[in-house]
Amino acid sequence: MTQEQTAVDGDWHRVHPASPFVRGWVALAAIIYFFGRDTFERALQGRGTMGDNFNERTVWLLAGGGVVLLLALGSFVLSWYFTRYQLAEGYVRVNTGFLFKQQRQARLDRVQAIDIVQPLLARIFGLAELKFEVADAGHSAVRLSYLRLAQAKQLRATILGRAAGIADGSETVEVPEAPEQVVLYLPPGRLVGSLILSEQSFFIVLSAIASVLVSVLTESRAFILYLIPAILGLGTAYWRSFNTGYNFTAAISPDGIRLRYGLLDTRAQTVPPGRIQALKVTQPPLWRILGWYRIHVNVAGYGEHHRSEGEHRTLLLPVGRKPEVMMMLSLVLPDPGTADPERVFTAGLTGLDSSAGFVTTPKRAWILSPLGWRRNGFFSTDTALLLRSGRLWRKLVMVPHQRTQSIAVHQGPLARLFGVADLVLHTTPGPVAPRLIQAATEEALGLFDQQAARAREARKLQSSEQWLAQLPPVAMPAPAPPTTHATQRASTQEEPDHG
Amino acid sequence: MHTAAIDPPGVQWLRVSPKYVTVRLVEWAIGNVITIGLFSLPLLFVELGWWKWPPLWLAVAVPAAFLLLALWRLVLIPRQVRAIGYAERDDDLLIRRGIFFQRTMVVPYGRMQYVDVTVGPVERLLGLCTLKLHTASAGTNAHLPGLPAAEGARLREQLSARGEARLAGL
Repeated sequence: MTQEQTAVDGDWHRVHPASPFVRGWVALAAIIYFFGRDTFERALQGRGTMGDNFNERTVWLLAGGGVVLLLALGSFVLSWYFTRYQLAEGYVRVNTGFLFKQQRQARLDRVQAIDIVQPLLARIFGLAELKFEVADAGHSAVRLSYLRLAQAKQLRATILGRAAGIADGSETVEVPEAPEQVVLYLPPGRLVGSLILSEQSFFIVLSAIASVLVSVLTESRAFILYLIPAILGLGTAYWRSFNTGYNFTAAISPDGIRLRYGLLDTRAQTVPPGRIQALKVTQPPLWRILGWYRIHVNVAGYGEHHRSEGEHRTLLLPVGRKPEVMMMLSLVLPDPGTADPERVFTAGLTGLDSSAGFVTTPKRAWILSPLGWRRNGFFSTDTALLLRSGRLWRKLVMVPHQRTQSIAVHQGPLARLFGVADLVLHTTPGPVAPRLIQAATEEALGLFDQQAARAREARKLQSSEQWLAQLPPVAMPAPAPPTTHATQRASTQEEPDHG
Repeated sequence: MHTAAIDPPGVQWLRVSPKYVTVRLVEWAIGNVITIGLFSLPLLFVELGWWKWPPLWLAVAVPAAFLLLALWRLVLIPRQVRAIGYAERDDDLLIRRGIFFQRTMVVPYGRMQYVDVTVGPVERLLGLCTLKLHTASAGTNAHLPGLPAAEGARLREQLSARGEARLAGL
């Protein structure tokens, strides 16, 4: 069986045979329900399938159902048979399809993030899906569904090891999983609290008050009926947030930041160091009472296209207090580039005016944002640009200098009248859209020039894509364990060294 | 030359071809003839007595407003084209545009993923092309319309070569 071996260079592997069933169980269940219901119902009613007319109909139904079921099963088997993957020469390749064949390949050293996803049913069977993101805004580069959990983890370690440059593909297989250290665990209580105090709750209370007022004023009870679907919808929204946010754990390892979360469906994300393109810390008004913040990140490849799941994937910290925010910031930006990061970040989170060196909107333009002008501002450390905004919805955006893609200055007629301009930093698609609002024109222009220069310098300093390659190689584990098949060793020795 | 408040000082801007005005005029004509034609239909129907609603003044006012807007845009076109500029610096490309809503953008060579050159039918008649730069960011909406074909080709080669030399990952 190829099941137990993973990622021998050049070998093609199949995914787990049960995968099409796990993926397509809804279709199977629908077929069985549709064709079997009649028979089943009659059996339940104790009428049996004996009646003359009924008998014929039942046979036809069962036969039709059987054919459809066989077709579905056949396509499952075929799709499994033709789905194969290979890890070789610094690439991962996946072949799929039997009518329309598709081969996808992705360069290992371009990996932006790796996710291991376990939907509930896959979890029951101990299976997991591996998702491999490269930088192409939107579509997952490579999905392998499903593998055994241990196998998926092993494959992830191998891919990350090669991408990091500690394993060059010449050794047999077994790249050890990088040790990790848990740095944050989110208790369920706080998750519930954060949901209760979230923006959507605020609007629910508001709309509830409004609807009660309306029903009192119009003296019509029917209004309440319209609320039922709304409540159901909200219930599912809350449930989804709870389901995905449950058990949120953040850990660090040499492979990068690891996030794990989920109640029924679980997901483990690994974001290698330096792959975070931009970050924002936000605080809705109600969270201010308890001093909570939330962190979103842009990672190339997460994109914003698959919004439903992307929403949670870009959450680096669903809810956390200030020390946890500081810790996450230090993980994302190990070298803050200032002497006093605590003070700078605090000023960014809660500060006003020119605290800690932030440059804000000039007083002459206060009318353009009467509330926010004292807060809209920027501060540039040696390694990152901090942009803060929002008086009620506080927001702090951080972009590492070497991650800036391009920069633009915008100025409309009104802004020109007040001598202010906006500075927009372009970053990979995601929830963070860095924009410096209404800075004095000369400040914005100065920053435009300096930032272009800083980004240039930072890019020159940036080391190779292989983030661990500079370090001395980590000791490899003992050579292949005794259970390894002899064929496996032979096949790898024949492989030329692609290092 | 037109240099505005938000341009970085000391930059020598290159302008796009004045012939690009023609391309914009054609686009303007096609777009506005269709719009105004559609909005004039109620007027026609009211005049013919097919429709009772809208009243005549409204049926006249709506297409008239669109016509005014279109004429205003028409007047702006030559100035807008003159406002488009680009400058090649050592490490990045500067692109500016706009009169009322100005935008100046800097795209580092090392950040360019690929360069597109497209030619539309009207552009082909006039020997022009549009150059588009792509970075990893969707926000980088960097396109330079109305370049003479030779200049477009030169710029494409130049940018690719410079991008190659300064290529950085994400």
